[in-house]
Amino acid sequence: MTKTNERKLTIARAMAEATAQEMRIDPSVFVMGEDIGPLGGVYGNTRGLIDEFGAERIRDTPISETAFIGAAVGAAMDGMRPVVELMFVDFFGVCFDAIYNLMAKNIYFSGGNVKVPMVLMTSTGGGYSDGGQHSQCVYGTFAHLPGMKVVAPSNAYDAKGLMTAAMRDDSPVVYMYHKGLQGMGWLGTEAGATVHVPEESYTVEIGKAKVVRQGRDVTIVSLGMGVHNALKAAKTLEGQGVSAEVVDLVSLVPLDRETIRASVAKTGRLIVVDEDYMSYGVSGEIIASVTEHDISVLKTAPKRVAFPDVPIPFARVMEQHCLPNPDKIVAAWDGMKAA
Amino acid sequence: MAKDIVIPSDLWEEDEECVITSWLVDDGASVEEGALIAEIMTAKVQYEIHAPASGTVTITEEADAVVAKGAVIGSVA
Repeated sequence: MTKTNERKLTIARAMAEATAQEMRIDPSVFVMGEDIGPLGGVYGNTRGLIDEFGAERIRDTPISETAFIGAAVGAAMDGMRPVVELMFVDFFGVCFDAIYNLMAKNIYFSGGNVKVPMVLMTSTGGGYSDGGQHSQCVYGTFAHLPGMKVVAPSNAYDAKGLMTAAMRDDSPVVYMYHKGLQGMGWLGTEAGATVHVPEESYTVEIGKAKVVRQGRDVTIVSLGMGVHNALKAAKTLEGQGVSAEVVDLVSLVPLDRETIRASVAKTGRLIVVDEDYMSYGVSGEIIASVTEHDISVLKTAPKRVAFPDVPIPFARVMEQHCLPNPDKIVAAWDGMKAA
Repeated sequence: MAKDIVIPSDLWEEDEECVITSWLVDDGASVEEGALIAEIMTAKVQYEIHAPASGTVTITEEADAVVAKGAVIGSVA
């Protein structure tokens, strides 16, 4: 069968396309970060931009996140719309004051008189043996602190629309993309993330979750790479006669609690899948959002499939042992059924 | 007449194999000559594969396949 006008993009290309389209219509948008110029970003998400927009608007920076993220906050408060890249989210330690005390709070501290319209894009996740300081997600850390919107796309369609929405937002947006979904082979490649993407500019609403698979028996909630693990588990469960619904959070802040609650009200069972550490994180927040609202919808106790509370191992077998995967999600269902 | 989609031999100097990281079209999609249809990678550097002709794509080497320079990974007819 012949399909016409098909055009699939990786998340990396979708992010670059959204940025280029916005830069063409908004001269206040510019990009800063390490190796985002001629190299096009180590994850490919700024490829081609320096050729079109030049080094004035696509600015390679020295290795000082403290300096260039601080500079981006200042530029945003002074009328620009910077897109700035923190190459690995794990590196937030050296620049967190600029992020959570300046970027996140200055709108509030100024009584709303100053806007901070910036996008902080950063890579998350492991699975390719890069060690404990290059493989973390720390979704919960960013989502916990008020004043920042936080998004995490699972596919190229959402990636493009969220990127455009983030650049147009007057609040700071932390854009967390998973390395394994970028379409860069050496990081592992999840084929499900490379999907059809419209050529024209469009937005995906920040703060709206998506039901990406309909089901009746259990709700599996996840984000980023976890959505693909959840969809694979749902397929396995289908073979066992179990109908699993999968909710892609898309955004962590604002969190779309209504969509989660509506799904669990329908299925009566909840499994949360999160590649971030188990304790004090996204998985607990999702469960609390359901139970504090109406515990009577639950037929059994919720389950979590998350990264154990240990630094991420470098050794491949140890890291893979710790990471969430479809088998662990199916096992969570089995445990739920037995309970 | 089908035209092969070939891994070019002049993209990198050594004889290393590459991996097909993504097909950006489905098997059976119709494409224009010159359209970006796949990405390949070797030594952490990514390269683009463009359609050699206009027509319908047939994929013979799936994503994640490791292939050599000059390998045929599909065709356009």
